[in-house]
Amino acid sequence: MPAFVKFWGTRGSIPTPASWTRVYGGNTSCVEVRFDDTIFVCDAGSGIRELGKDLIARQPAPERLHLLITHAHWDHIQGFPFFAPLYQPAIKIHVYGRRAEDDNPFRLLSGQMTSTYFPVSFHDVGASIIADHLDNGNKVIDGVLVRTFALNHSGGCIGYSFSKDGRKIVYATDNELEIQNGDLFPDLNDTSPLRQAPEELVAEAREADLLIADAQYDEQGYSTRKKWGHSCCFSATDLALRAKVKNLALFHHDPEDTDRAIDQKVLACRRRAARLGGRLVICAAREGVEMKF
Amino acid sequence: MSKRIFPILPKPAKKTLSKPGPFADDARDLGRMTEFDATISGTARILRRQRDSRRHSLEQFEGDGGPRFIKLEGEETVIGRAPDAQVRLTSKRASRQHAFLRVRGTDCLIFDNDSHNGVFLNGVKVHSAVLRDGDVIQVADSVFVYSEA
Repeated sequence: MPAFVKFWGTRGSIPTPASWTRVYGGNTSCVEVRFDDTIFVCDAGSGIRELGKDLIARQPAPERLHLLITHAHWDHIQGFPFFAPLYQPAIKIHVYGRRAEDDNPFRLLSGQMTSTYFPVSFHDVGASIIADHLDNGNKVIDGVLVRTFALNHSGGCIGYSFSKDGRKIVYATDNELEIQNGDLFPDLNDTSPLRQAPEELVAEAREADLLIADAQYDEQGYSTRKKWGHSCCFSATDLALRAKVKNLALFHHDPEDTDRAIDQKVLACRRRAARLGGRLVICAAREGVEMKF
Repeated sequence: MSKRIFPILPKPAKKTLSKPGPFADDARDLGRMTEFDATISGTARILRRQRDSRRHSLEQFEGDGGPRFIKLEGEETVIGRAPDAQVRLTSKRASRQHAFLRVRGTDCLIFDNDSHNGVFLNGVKVHSAVLRDGDVIQVADSVFVYSEA
């Protein structure tokens, strides 16, 4: 059974609707991962609004959704109150903590729907919202193995991998692959050797069909925003090469990046991967694109 | 004497259509204007309506059947080897109904119809996608550039 991945929000930090973001999109993080009828929603950035509309228009509409939040920064939860299935009584939405009694994601989502922030209370929505949990970070849900792993981001962040029938999708956004000053490349055409990456992360991403990785900056952008919790695109490429993944989607685009700038990052990363001898396919995550694996 | 705040705009010239043209429907609709519509001129209303729709087209510059310009009209266009496909390909690498193009609102979407060789958007294999101006689509041996206007 194939896996489907659809991008509903690919932008980092803040929604960026503009003529120059029309191709890759201006909505913040939201990715749908689907195995057969089992739908995982990764993050609830502003992109989740369009996903919600699409879900309730499907025939048949899904009865159960699995919501996995990487962390509670605004751009990953701000779309949740506008998620149409929330207001459908027939739908059950499971919101997962990493382990039993970890109801953090549930509390954070309900917290932003108190009357100070939003007119409709969390308790007045139609859907059943279930505070569920993974078992110490891992769980098999409808035959799909969901694993979690720690990412390097201020305040903490977790990545997810989804595996079933030999297909593996890895979602690892809001992650800083740290680079020392001397290791920064002067431009986008460098042929330096592969950068180091955390072993745990390489292991989690190993031989994935698709790695969705934080690649917010180019080298210059990263040099002025160290410790902001995001990676440069070459580091994401090197991580993918080390882990021998098949496809890499550059994700969490900088709000200042135009479509053209993102195109240039993709080309530079493709050149680097080709020079380093990898058979990696690289693209930039783009709103409205669905891939099948 | 009170001070005039707004400039006086010249009265728009009365437009008459001698034969049905591209805006004939709009001209007929002017007779059914709602109260809200009456607050804007007929010309502005026609322009506003045009903004709500786009013209979609493909230009094939490689592969069998090309070069050619294909205007995407109607809700669905089939690309493939089937005799009744609107964009017909003869390559053996193309499936009979290889891909669909569908117009939804102002967007045009492409769907791979579980073809054997896939649909590539700007060099990347996709299952479906919302198209944007300048996208390069490859189906079998044929390459198209999508345009919206």
